[in-house]
Amino acid sequence: MRRRVVITGMGVVTPLGHAVADLFASQVEGRTAVAPFTRFDARTMPTTFASEVKGFELSRYLKDAGRYEHCGVNTKFAIGAMRQAVEDAGLLDEGTGDRGRMGVYLGSGEGAEDFPALINSIGAAAVAPAYRTADPLVFTREILKVLDPRREAEVEMHTTVGHLGSIFAFEGPNTACQTACAASSQAIGEAAELIRAGDADVMAAGGAHSMLHPLGITGFNRLTALSTRRDSPRTASRPFDLSRDGFVIGEGAGIMILEELEHAKARKAPIYAELTGYGSTADAYRMTDPHPQGRGAVRAIADALADAGLRPTDVGYINAHGTSTQANDSAETAAIKAVFKEHAYKVPVSSSKSMLGHLIAAAGVAELVICVMALRKGVLPPTINYETPDPACDLDYIPNTAREVRVDHVLSNSFGFGGQNISLTVSRFRD
Amino acid sequence: MVANTRRAVVTGLGVVTPIGSSPAAFWDALRAGTSGIRTIRAFDPSALPCRIAGEIPDFVAKAVIEKSYRKSLNAMARMVQLGVVASQFAMHDAGLPKGAVAPDRLGITFASVMGATDIDDLANCSHLASVGPRQAIDMEAWGRASVPEMPPMWMLKYLPNMPACHVTILFDMQGPSNTIIPNDAAGVLAVGEAYRAVRRGAADVMLVGGSESKINPLSQSRFNSFAHLTRANDHPAAAVRPFDRDASGTCMGEGAAAFPLEDLDHARRRGARILGEVVGFAAGLDRGLKGTVFARVIRAALADAGITPADVDHVNAHGVGIPAYDAYEARAVAAVFGPGGVPVFAPLSRFGNLGGASSVVEAACSLLALHHGELPGTINHDNPAADCPVAVHTGPPRPVTKPFAVKVASTDLGQCAAVVFKKWAG
Repeated sequence: MRRRVVITGMGVVTPLGHAVADLFASQVEGRTAVAPFTRFDARTMPTTFASEVKGFELSRYLKDAGRYEHCGVNTKFAIGAMRQAVEDAGLLDEGTGDRGRMGVYLGSGEGAEDFPALINSIGAAAVAPAYRTADPLVFTREILKVLDPRREAEVEMHTTVGHLGSIFAFEGPNTACQTACAASSQAIGEAAELIRAGDADVMAAGGAHSMLHPLGITGFNRLTALSTRRDSPRTASRPFDLSRDGFVIGEGAGIMILEELEHAKARKAPIYAELTGYGSTADAYRMTDPHPQGRGAVRAIADALADAGLRPTDVGYINAHGTSTQANDSAETAAIKAVFKEHAYKVPVSSSKSMLGHLIAAAGVAELVICVMALRKGVLPPTINYETPDPACDLDYIPNTAREVRVDHVLSNSFGFGGQNISLTVSRFRD
Repeated sequence: MVANTRRAVVTGLGVVTPIGSSPAAFWDALRAGTSGIRTIRAFDPSALPCRIAGEIPDFVAKAVIEKSYRKSLNAMARMVQLGVVASQFAMHDAGLPKGAVAPDRLGITFASVMGATDIDDLANCSHLASVGPRQAIDMEAWGRASVPEMPPMWMLKYLPNMPACHVTILFDMQGPSNTIIPNDAAGVLAVGEAYRAVRRGAADVMLVGGSESKINPLSQSRFNSFAHLTRANDHPAAAVRPFDRDASGTCMGEGAAAFPLEDLDHARRRGARILGEVVGFAAGLDRGLKGTVFARVIRAALADAGITPADVDHVNAHGVGIPAYDAYEARAVAAVFGPGGVPVFAPLSRFGNLGGASSVVEAACSLLALHHGELPGTINHDNPAADCPVAVHTGPPRPVTKPFAVKVASTDLGQCAAVVFKKWAG
């Protein structure tokens, strides 16, 4: 008998709220978090808007918040989400359970570069008259004067997940992955496999990311990945709509407490839902463009359903990756049709990103939290900003208004730059 | 359920390192005690407090990468190029060209972290928006003038998951693809994840790899600021001293390694050459670097392998050459094996701290040791540090006398892991 994995706690820090209930209420009400950038002066950037976390204070979640002041924003968000989730699951007390059997798996991004230090130092080293190269000796001399060692240490990619384990006394497997937009879904799936394999009984799994800084935004703009709908930011994220022109970048963090079923029952933990299926594939196609027929996505979805022992007709709702790019939304639609066949036209599909924006490494976990809440509340959130259908995207995307439907099984997709495809299923828990 | 009967064997190896870029050259250098650490030549390091590193002296990706893939090199940072080439070498060594494995049964778990930008890439952007040292960046100028000057593919050059991405394209790997990032422990964590994947039947072949290059002005500056680098610039080959009384810090390096983990039945059916077997894995977090959780993780890996400390030929340690971290690692090993209770091997003194790639490249040394039946000595260990109760084998190679080697790894935050390799006896 395979060990079963259930969800016993959740926590989020997102542009639509710093609590699971707030995030889900916003999604049901069709509220958008997209607004002009406040994080830095973006008035001359090609994209001038994003989905920003507002009003986050680490001191709400940690007594000694000052100790983590040099950490990246992503780490701070992660701490906030983990605090909620651990408390929700009743695992805050270090004396509860065998902490060596409780681990953390994050899909997380890098901390932010020290932008002024970097740009000023390269600027000082740029070689006249063309300024197309920079002198390394001048650069190193300049930047060594201004780098803050404590801040630089916290840019390293192992720090976010390491701090979570230390702060909350989770001494089991502590690891992280970075597969772009698929990362936190992949972390959740791999964390579930660690529990199934017996390497842990509890895994805090999810992700944290913040790229709302000049280098990150510029990088995405140069890839033409971001919407440039400057005249109407609130309608820029319009997954599956004919006039979609790219994703709207967001930031945030989410943590789910995954737990082996018998372990949860023994300590009478509240069970939100069961994590029933995980599919993980690669497109092996291009660096960013998904395969046009979504061949990797097809197999990820099929593998997740097979892993869960589900048929396509068992699925009551699909939470799409739905980034609002031309390429993803049509490829994903093709993939859903390939797996669900005629049932594709009967199962409602929606994209949380229409309201939340794209949380990159944290997208998967935030969206899976929404899926769990949809199961529990019997309400499916809509895809907002849906105005003009695209012939290549002809499914039921729950346009603009939430729908009350009780479902038993939900599929969530996350497809990342680099070709990683992750699909997860969460199901109403039945003992 | 197939998980309990499947076994995962190593069927090839590729390396690109400061001491050799083929398994044969790498092994010869390990036996000979060669050091690949020297004064940095890739750029003028004279402003850096630590001016030495493990540099690969002769890596030209264009000369070795698959011809069809040459044009993609422009979109790859050096870290990515190293990883792709090492992976290519590994797949060829294993006799696994594209198409040899059903695409959905072939995956990859890669250990790598964010690459640091080449400063040339942002030279013009910076010139246009920098007002002066310690001044705020002119964001009006950045948006208007700098943005169009950033190379379009800039972000893709440096992302941690790009080595895995390119390798999946090169070899049509459509199975699971993951990129593991916790620095010094990432490699062992990647081995463990791939091992579990093969055993539960998620794939028949999982390529495990890692790549890193810290030989660039930005990485070197950053790591000089916080990473306990040595100042022993005048004697590069002797500078990094694992578990040694005179350890004065570490240095960084560059390198890559990869090896396929293959389901044993799949390997036997195709007559693959087998280099070794993965038989156990465990991971945890040692808060405060006490050594107790690290020791527990090592014991858990042995238990997972069904063996005891007495069965272990050697422990392959990180031996980073930073006194506090060496002491922590030694404490953990001593707690499991007894003080001086097992030969310890630490190859890092030859090539530096390879960051995300370190524990994959280090693990490759034990694969070779078990395969060849000899354990090379650890260089730069002359006088044991008083707080490092481990017996480090030094000098000429000694025979491998037991079938198992344990690769251990930990980050400076206590993320620790251990994997057990078994010598392949046929």
